[in-house]
Amino acid sequence: MDENIEIRNVIELEHVSKDYRDFKLDDVSFTVPEGSVCGFIGQNGAGKTTTINLILDVIRRDSGVVRVFGENVDENTAGLREDIGVVFDEMGFHEFMTGKDINIMMKNIYKNWDEEAFFGYLKQFALPAKKKCGAFSRGMRMKLQIAVALSHHAKLLVMDEPTSGLDPIVRNEMMNIFRDFVVEEDHTILLSSHITGDLEKLADEVVFIDGGRIVLAGNKDEMLEKHGILKCKKTEVEKISKSLIVSAEVGSFGAEVMVNDRKAAQKLYPDMVIEPAALEQIMIFYVNKRQSRREVRS
Amino acid sequence: MKGLILKDLMCLRKQLTNFCFVMAGVLIASIMYVLSARYGNMAKVGQEMLNGNATQVDVRNIGSMVLVMFMLLPIASVGDMLYVFLADGKAGFGKVSATFPVPLKKRMLARFLTIYAMFGIGVAVDLLVAFLLSLLTDILNFREFFGIIISGASVMSIYSALVILFCVVLGYGKEQYAQCAALFTMAAAVVLANFDKVKYFVVEIMMHDKKMESRDLWAPLDFVREKGYVLFLTAAAVSILAYFLSYRIADRKRGVV
Repeated sequence: MDENIEIRNVIELEHVSKDYRDFKLDDVSFTVPEGSVCGFIGQNGAGKTTTINLILDVIRRDSGVVRVFGENVDENTAGLREDIGVVFDEMGFHEFMTGKDINIMMKNIYKNWDEEAFFGYLKQFALPAKKKCGAFSRGMRMKLQIAVALSHHAKLLVMDEPTSGLDPIVRNEMMNIFRDFVVEEDHTILLSSHITGDLEKLADEVVFIDGGRIVLAGNKDEMLEKHGILKCKKTEVEKISKSLIVSAEVGSFGAEVMVNDRKAAQKLYPDMVIEPAALEQIMIFYVNKRQSRREVRS
Repeated sequence: MKGLILKDLMCLRKQLTNFCFVMAGVLIASIMYVLSARYGNMAKVGQEMLNGNATQVDVRNIGSMVLVMFMLLPIASVGDMLYVFLADGKAGFGKVSATFPVPLKKRMLARFLTIYAMFGIGVAVDLLVAFLLSLLTDILNFREFFGIIISGASVMSIYSALVILFCVVLGYGKEQYAQCAALFTMAAAVVLANFDKVKYFVVEIMMHDKKMESRDLWAPLDFVREKGYVLFLTAAAVSILAYFLSYRIADRKRGVV
């Protein structure tokens, strides 16, 4: 019976490209299912912000299709934005504006703006409504953005590095806020970050971008299940099937090899130790793979 | 759109301190103008003119000159929209507003409307002062005052529309360049529109020509007093053109307004 349940994709990107001469977002395709938390990972400059800007239709794409809630973003941008809450890495509001000022502005911008909910969030996040937000700490500024994003009853939260530069306590608080948000079945989060530890706790789906191309996309647990770190002697690296190797780090005491099929590797090399890989390791090994390929080419 | 206008007005609220100082200055200058026009030098020159004695300068021109200098201050003060651009750029508000459910056309229109709303305040204040001055003095009538104010407001709106346009073209963080570009464009337009006059004027200055002395250097003031509507119509045309151009360019850049 479960097979009949159709999963709706809230975000769909099909072969999206954007060329900035010095950087190219190349043929990006991925989907974010409704009700999920999708971690969008990649190193700085990998193309996360560009992709988010394309999803929000803030920048013009060169080719491809971007759909949000099943609608092409070009066709009903303003309407779609009613249901999207956006959080950037910087606050964006003028430093002398207070929570009250922001409420006045927002209630004249969003049709669904819920004044009561906004002040409720300010209270919940311990943000003084009459204090100028220029005097807020970085954590408070991020919480203010989240309060704004949640107060117009958005169904999709798009966040670009919201936790970067925050201490672990505030990051944990924010993770709890995001968890509360996705309790509702139709609420979805796309969260870009290079702090993979947070995403490992929160995300259901992971999209990994590197050098403007999608390297991996899919269910986080499956991704972690599939990948592993095989530890062996330097001389043993060559024995490992190349189709299994993502990349290898060879040190003076031995080698660590990232394999893309842990179970297969375990069967083929029962004498070798294969440990589960963390998201961060997956990210590092894939980036190393691309860099070593580039070095070989050059 | 209303929300964005309110945000800009909240941003310009900071200008109120400047505006209060300017108003105090304008009131003092107005009192001095009234005193001079009734009992001081301007009254004396006016009397000479009435008596048919030759004076070097028409008292109405002196009055206009003084008025142009102080009466346009409120308009210039409230029209300082650069503050909004600086604050927006500093806060990164453009990026945030690009994600609002407000079409780009309306976001751009909000920016223009904020500026004209602020000019409206400056013009209203000026008209009030002008009305009082026209009652208390008889050098210029209200129609001539009105011409001066409308001319000033028109020049400022042309400047503002061009600054918005150049801010959109150059992007955030280049507001000073946008101001320079706007001033240069205006100066270039004036020179091109009066190329022959300017050419002869420059030649006469360089040649120390005697004709210089016979030229009516006060003619621009007559124009300001009598034909303010020409500047007003030009300002309206430039504003509409600047709005559409800004919108087109912002649309190509996809939005950070």
